[in-house]
Amino acid sequence: MSDRKITIEYNDGVVRQFLLACVLWGAVGMLVGVVVASQLNYWRLNFDLPWLTFGRLRPLHTNAVIFAFVGNMMFAGVYYSTQRLVNARLASNFLSQLHFWGWQLIIVAAAISLPLGFSRGKEYAELIWPINIAVAFIWVVFAVNFFWTLARRQEPALYVAIWFYIGTIITVAMLYIVNHLSIPTSLLHSYPVFGGVQDALVQWWYGHNAVAFFLTTPILGIMYYFVPKAAERPVYSYRLSVIHFWSLVFVYIWAGPHHLLNTALPGWLQALGMTFSLMLWAPSWGGMLNGLLTLRGAWHKLRTDPVLKFFAAAVTFYGMATFEGPLLSIKSVNALAHYTDWIIGHVHAGALGWNGFMAAGMIYWLLPRLWNKPLHSVALANLHFWVGTFGILLYVAAMWTSGITQGLMLNATTDNGTLLTYPNFLDTLNAIRPMMLFRVLGGGLYLIGWLLLAYNVYRTVRGAKAVNGTIEVFVSDHAAEERLGLGSMIFNPPVAFSVLGTVFACAWMFGGDFLKLAGLFGTALVILLAWVHFRTRVSRWAAWYDRLLLNALPFTLLTFLAVAAGGLIQIIPTTLVNRASNVEGRRQIPYTPLELAGRDIYIREGCFNCHSQMIRTLVPDVLRYGDYSRLGESIYDLPFQWGSKRTGPDLARVGSKYPNLWHYRHMMNPRDVSPGSNMPNYPWLFSGKTDMDSLPAKLSVQRLLGVPYPEYKAGELTALVADQERTIATDLKGAGAMVAPDREIVALIAYLQKLGKYEALAPRLPVAQ
Amino acid sequence: MFQRLLFENWVCVFPLIAFITAGSIYATIFYRAIRMKTPQIDHFSQLPFEPESPVSPDETK
Repeated sequence: MSDRKITIEYNDGVVRQFLLACVLWGAVGMLVGVVVASQLNYWRLNFDLPWLTFGRLRPLHTNAVIFAFVGNMMFAGVYYSTQRLVNARLASNFLSQLHFWGWQLIIVAAAISLPLGFSRGKEYAELIWPINIAVAFIWVVFAVNFFWTLARRQEPALYVAIWFYIGTIITVAMLYIVNHLSIPTSLLHSYPVFGGVQDALVQWWYGHNAVAFFLTTPILGIMYYFVPKAAERPVYSYRLSVIHFWSLVFVYIWAGPHHLLNTALPGWLQALGMTFSLMLWAPSWGGMLNGLLTLRGAWHKLRTDPVLKFFAAAVTFYGMATFEGPLLSIKSVNALAHYTDWIIGHVHAGALGWNGFMAAGMIYWLLPRLWNKPLHSVALANLHFWVGTFGILLYVAAMWTSGITQGLMLNATTDNGTLLTYPNFLDTLNAIRPMMLFRVLGGGLYLIGWLLLAYNVYRTVRGAKAVNGTIEVFVSDHAAEERLGLGSMIFNPPVAFSVLGTVFACAWMFGGDFLKLAGLFGTALVILLAWVHFRTRVSRWAAWYDRLLLNALPFTLLTFLAVAAGGLIQIIPTTLVNRASNVEGRRQIPYTPLELAGRDIYIREGCFNCHSQMIRTLVPDVLRYGDYSRLGESIYDLPFQWGSKRTGPDLARVGSKYPNLWHYRHMMNPRDVSPGSNMPNYPWLFSGKTDMDSLPAKLSVQRLLGVPYPEYKAGELTALVADQERTIATDLKGAGAMVAPDREIVALIAYLQKLGKYEALAPRLPVAQ
Repeated sequence: MFQRLLFENWVCVFPLIAFITAGSIYATIFYRAIRMKTPQIDHFSQLPFEPESPVSPDETK
């Protein structure tokens, strides 16, 4: 056994790169946010240009803020803190650089492809399949670099921040891969393998946990490292931080269905999503209080230290957002809030308050340390704090008011609930216009605050010499003795008793007569034996857990098990239950080839950003839009288009509601038929030709995914499309509107007129028990 | 793929297995977390405060 002293120089170069990228992309993402918010107030800001319309820019805003702004911030924080927590330089300079430049390339590819209309049609998962593969690859590079660094660590213990990073890496990989499973139809287009309710469930399992494991857990890890450093005192309760971690990992993953409350999603999943969302109150607030109480004895520093100001406010916003989230997951509250601006306000309390302020605090703390120079202006940083805070409050208050106002108006009924008080959707939209303007002001102020930070960064970095942190450590050979191999992780009393207990409990619950009895006795016996063994061999049980805290691989496997269980419970039953057996008496009529082409135009233009296709099981929804949506009515929708926001009305049953001419005029200038509308004009649909060349490949993939399209003979497909085009064009001509049959507007009208069409099926017989 | 089939009750095994697995592991972990010893807790909570040596110029530029 021998100890020797070595000096480690951290790789802070890549931390600087990610930090500067965060500042740049943060400004871009926020600027696009202010632009799209302005477009909702002033439709002319869409400029009648396809690549500047709200439907295409809104995904650019969300992707830029999530993956470019928070992503770069997360990587900077993870790489800086991990090296110092484990006393090791990042394992590979090459992988670090590949990670950085690969991620920036992905962001640039997204910034080009989204405005051009290349979209998968799923929120926060819009990027096309080649970029998806690049994201997965770079994420693996990040994971390899991270775990390789852990393998080379000089500090055996894994601090709780590292736990949060591990949870992030494996969960995001799992979520991203499952939700992006697609079959390409061309180099730039694909259809997801899931459709209808399955797609909805997978999407919001991903969407909700993108918030949980991309915007929350890594930032919590950063909180557990940077807040104690800034406050110069250890975390208030390490025990609480451990419980915080496990509770979030076990509970968060189950809560996705709360995005689909009161929809056609099976009731048990809605109940599950709501229940687990409510359970999140406890760990979230435990973590929030742990963060705030870490500042005990350092509150006086908040007067002067902008870093602590940002951290304290960020943790407070985390508490507010995580209180509001479960509240919104209560079905009755959700009936009011869903599809309205309240959700937008909730999201921005988290994104601007929690993520944005944590990023600002971390950047102000890191700058002097990474460039060995004091911050250019503390006063400017303090000004940033106050401008930003005022901006958030203005934004969130405006969205709360807007959301509740519109929700109340949309749900208001009269005559004993038989008539809508505000039957014209546009009345509710125009009632919230002042609040939408306040949102622009609030967002604009927040952007100004961020630009102050950018200026402060520029002035601090200009002329400064970049430096890397170093540390002298003793390399100890006996550290290896405490390592826990995969074998000893599995074959030990706690795991063995847990596995046996689970097996017997399953037999008890699901087995036949004898198996049920054996399961009952087996479960009781295992519990008894486990208790006896635990009482007599306490040290062995404790030693296993203690060694787990020092061993990254077993720890990672355990974390994966925790998050995979949550996915298992929701996705497998919904995926395995045959879709056609869930049609609730109605089955969607598949789109004709022309309608399918029109649907792809609908997705390209991002119509789902403002229009839902899901009539909820609520009286006002049914009064306004028609009979509530059934599961079977979207089984051939690849991807599903249920939506999450109604800036415009629901379209689930818009088919045949208006004549073709109405849609023609509406797309040319929505205000011609809907005075007061804020929808953009779509003049390019009247000149662009429908993409016919890609149809055979698209139909082939749809067929592969289970949509019952026949095999078309040579010329049959073209004739079928031409026939439907001609019918619509002739109808339009008869009504006084001239358009060539092969234009995109014809295909889009064909799609819109199909919405809500289904075939009635005989009710399913009850299952014999 | 879309032919009508009887409802497949057996799939409810997945939620229940997931519940049992998650619940039992969580209970174990929770118990161990609150039983962590004070010296161990102190060691972990002090990890962010490892003394850092003077910085060195970044020579890669």
